[in-house]
Amino acid sequence: MKTKKSLLTSLALAALIFSSCEKDNPVIPNEEELITTVKYTLTPTEGEAVTLSFIDLDGDGAGEPTKNQVTLKANQTYTGSLELLNESETPAESITEEIEEESEEHQFFFESELVSFEYKDNDADGDPVGLNTLLTTGEAGTGTIKITLRHEPNKSAEGVSSGNITNAGGETDIEVTFNIHVE
Amino acid sequence: MLNKTTLFIILFGAILSIKAQDCTYSIQGRVLDHGTQFPLCHVNILVNEQSKGTSTDEQGNFHIGNLCAGEFHVLFSHIGCQQKKIHLNLDKDTTLSINLSHTTSFLGTIDLDAERNHAQNHSQVSINRKSIEDNPTKNISGLIENETGVHLIKNGSGISKPVVHGLYGNRLTIINNGIVQSGQQWGSDHGPEIDPFSSNKITVIKGTSAIKYGGGNLGSVLLIESKKILPEPHLHGQINYAYESNGRGNNLNIQLEKHASNLAWRINGTLKKSGDKKSSSYFLNNTGSNEANFSVQLEKSWNDQLFIDFYGSSFNTQLGVLRGAHIGNLTDLEEALIRDIPFYTETKFSYDIDAPKQKVSHHLAKIDATYIINDEQQVQLILGVQSNHRKEYDVRRSGRSDIPALSLLQNTFNSEIKYSYELKQNWKLRMGNQTIITDNTNQPETGILPLIPDYISVKSGLYTTLSRRKNQQHFNLGVRYDNEQQKIANISTGFPKKIIRHQNNYDNISLLASYKFNLSKKQTLSINTGFASRNPGINELFSNGVHQGVSSFEEGNVNLNTEKAIKNTFEYQWLPNTNFTFNALLYHQYFKDYIFLKPQDEMKLTIRGAFPFYRYEQTNASISGIDLSTQFTLAHSLFGKLKYSYLHGEDITNKKPLVYTPPNSLYWSLKYQRNHSIKLSKNTSAEALEIEINNKIVFKQNNLLEEQDFTAPPNTYSLFGMRASTRLTFPEYQISCFAKVENLFNTPYRDYLNKQRYFSDDIGISISLGMNFKF
Repeated sequence: MKTKKSLLTSLALAALIFSSCEKDNPVIPNEEELITTVKYTLTPTEGEAVTLSFIDLDGDGAGEPTKNQVTLKANQTYTGSLELLNESETPAESITEEIEEESEEHQFFFESELVSFEYKDNDADGDPVGLNTLLTTGEAGTGTIKITLRHEPNKSAEGVSSGNITNAGGETDIEVTFNIHVE
Repeated sequence: MLNKTTLFIILFGAILSIKAQDCTYSIQGRVLDHGTQFPLCHVNILVNEQSKGTSTDEQGNFHIGNLCAGEFHVLFSHIGCQQKKIHLNLDKDTTLSINLSHTTSFLGTIDLDAERNHAQNHSQVSINRKSIEDNPTKNISGLIENETGVHLIKNGSGISKPVVHGLYGNRLTIINNGIVQSGQQWGSDHGPEIDPFSSNKITVIKGTSAIKYGGGNLGSVLLIESKKILPEPHLHGQINYAYESNGRGNNLNIQLEKHASNLAWRINGTLKKSGDKKSSSYFLNNTGSNEANFSVQLEKSWNDQLFIDFYGSSFNTQLGVLRGAHIGNLTDLEEALIRDIPFYTETKFSYDIDAPKQKVSHHLAKIDATYIINDEQQVQLILGVQSNHRKEYDVRRSGRSDIPALSLLQNTFNSEIKYSYELKQNWKLRMGNQTIITDNTNQPETGILPLIPDYISVKSGLYTTLSRRKNQQHFNLGVRYDNEQQKIANISTGFPKKIIRHQNNYDNISLLASYKFNLSKKQTLSINTGFASRNPGINELFSNGVHQGVSSFEEGNVNLNTEKAIKNTFEYQWLPNTNFTFNALLYHQYFKDYIFLKPQDEMKLTIRGAFPFYRYEQTNASISGIDLSTQFTLAHSLFGKLKYSYLHGEDITNKKPLVYTPPNSLYWSLKYQRNHSIKLSKNTSAEALEIEINNKIVFKQNNLLEEQDFTAPPNTYSLFGMRASTRLTFPEYQISCFAKVENLFNTPYRDYLNKQRYFSDDIGISISLGMNFKF
């Protein structure tokens, strides 16, 4: 009986000690994979370059993302260049490099009522990636540009290499929509 | 009705006389059905070593005379029952009283624990060792799938979680060998980490009598038990092997046990490997799984007064998740919904398991000491430790698919002290205390913000129950108090990140009253009522982010209150004769502050697109249902079973159906059993030839509004199955074989409670062949 009592006491004591101690500070993970920023720089054959940007520093967190709106010239050709960043780190980390290294496993898709797109880069298999593009604007108007990055798409599926997302599959890593104005 | 049976044997030997000469002794006795207390006729009894045998008469009586003194084994076998050996050291005429308990789904059975003499008066269904051996390819959830009131939440084919009367996860406690199973039970894609082969009995308690089990359940409990090692001085064991065509799975299990004079031991090891499953027309890529488990059980006793048991187990699994079910956002989900065949479907089979996948290990060690103070009183102490490490892998960029996206280590310490006292006039008092200390830590290797925070929780409970059993009336009253303290260290989701500490303190009260009585000699009525409460889970309080599997943004709510529930059950049993049984269980559970994910009006915008936004909120809700089951003998050797489960869930406050409640289902089976064994030679015979056909119909979940899901619930489906088995008995060993076909007509179907239904069909036809060698 005596041993039982002392066992009980030590158990209660253990529970007490445990309950009075705090949980250690968790290690804040280094979110190096996070994409916080998409920058799409459009350079016209003549004139000033414009940049579409979408920034969400806390990833999936509570903060609302910010994005801008640009004006493009009608019936004009632009070269488009995409840059992805992780700006939650200092200095900001380039995700563009990761995409370049794994270009076979990634493809950007561009959709717009006002602008037509053409891929200007290839992966090792000769399929498009979309970090570099050529844009041609049409008539004046107001609309959107939607940029989607798919991870592990089926690039050989019908229409995918010409920029049609319908049969691409894969997971979406980025899906951002910008409002644009063409005049 | 006899296929799911356990032999449950109570031995009380009586000395009739002492004789000096050899080979003049006898054994005699009577065999009764434990559930009904009807005598069992045609039970075969064989004294192995002396090649003497008999069978019971119409009154269940038997007598074997002219036995020689010494040690030998007596075998009892009955149609459909698992053959059972008792070891006897005969030095006198002996009377045996044998209870063969057909632990069929609905005949009330007795706990195998220390309270074996006190029949429970709550509703429960059990699966015995024979069912576990007959289904070596199934996991713990799959084994109880066809019981009334039980459903499964699945994520593909390999990951499944039991649902009892509509409740699962944190609302259902799993007791593994006397210890509350720890782990990340909140996740609907986190299956219980238990090897069914290391257990002998799985019981689903559907009533309200969960007072003596900790863990914060709301009434129902899943009990997984291993039985005591039989007092059998020789080495015994068994080898199970089964092959399953769908997934090309191999399953191997070896068990050895011996009741040596100084220590009784049992060891158990299981290896499983299977590859891609196949739906009715295409492979489900990356749905393979591997499993390696080991357990050891030791028992020692002193003077029949002090009993000390040790149990240790290690469960290790790796589970693939359908590649095409891995999506990035709502657009991906919408695309998947309109596809007939998932993305990434390949034409060839593979055993490879790539991301997305889960790697989980669960280790348990416990010591259980029972001290019998005197005939009336006993005290029991249980100490246990558990370690659960769950790693989940996603498809990631730059080789990070090999780094887990979630890595949670949970260490748990359990202690329990129980005391029971047999009072006068058949009253029995039980008291107990349980303490569970949980330490949950995210491993920083992931490079991703954790889904749930780090925390320490200390939960301590006290309970007492008072019961009385007299004149076929059974009465039970119980009260329980729990205190839980949580200390949480959360990483904020904003930018920059900081650590926010929270502290929660909860007090919970549970109450229970039950009464069981005989309406007539053959009809029993049992009424249960219980009040219980559950504290909000860590995920409900703190989750914040995108739930990948269904691409929704889920936000926890730190202001959640304790969820409270009142459950009433009403059970009617009718056992007119051994050829027919009927059981009906009606239940109703009312919840105050039921915690659920409520869709919000806005969408949550992220760089990956807009996600539907859900927040944990509370409502008043109810779940009510009926479980019906019947078993009958159609002809001399033809047995039938019919089971039906109906369930209705309602969000009372918002006047809407409760989401994710199990659809109604119907199950029937017809079985032919050959009553007599076929003699193959002098000592060899084929016994227990059985052929069964079964059918399960799961109805469409119509109790759901269109806006409550991404797509309409799947249609009603009907699956047929067949199985045939027999047993070859040799003097020293026996071999059982079975062949089984599931989804006989290769029917394409999707199940409402399977998350993979958004992406692919469920699994198609599967043929299993298995063998069990016992010595």
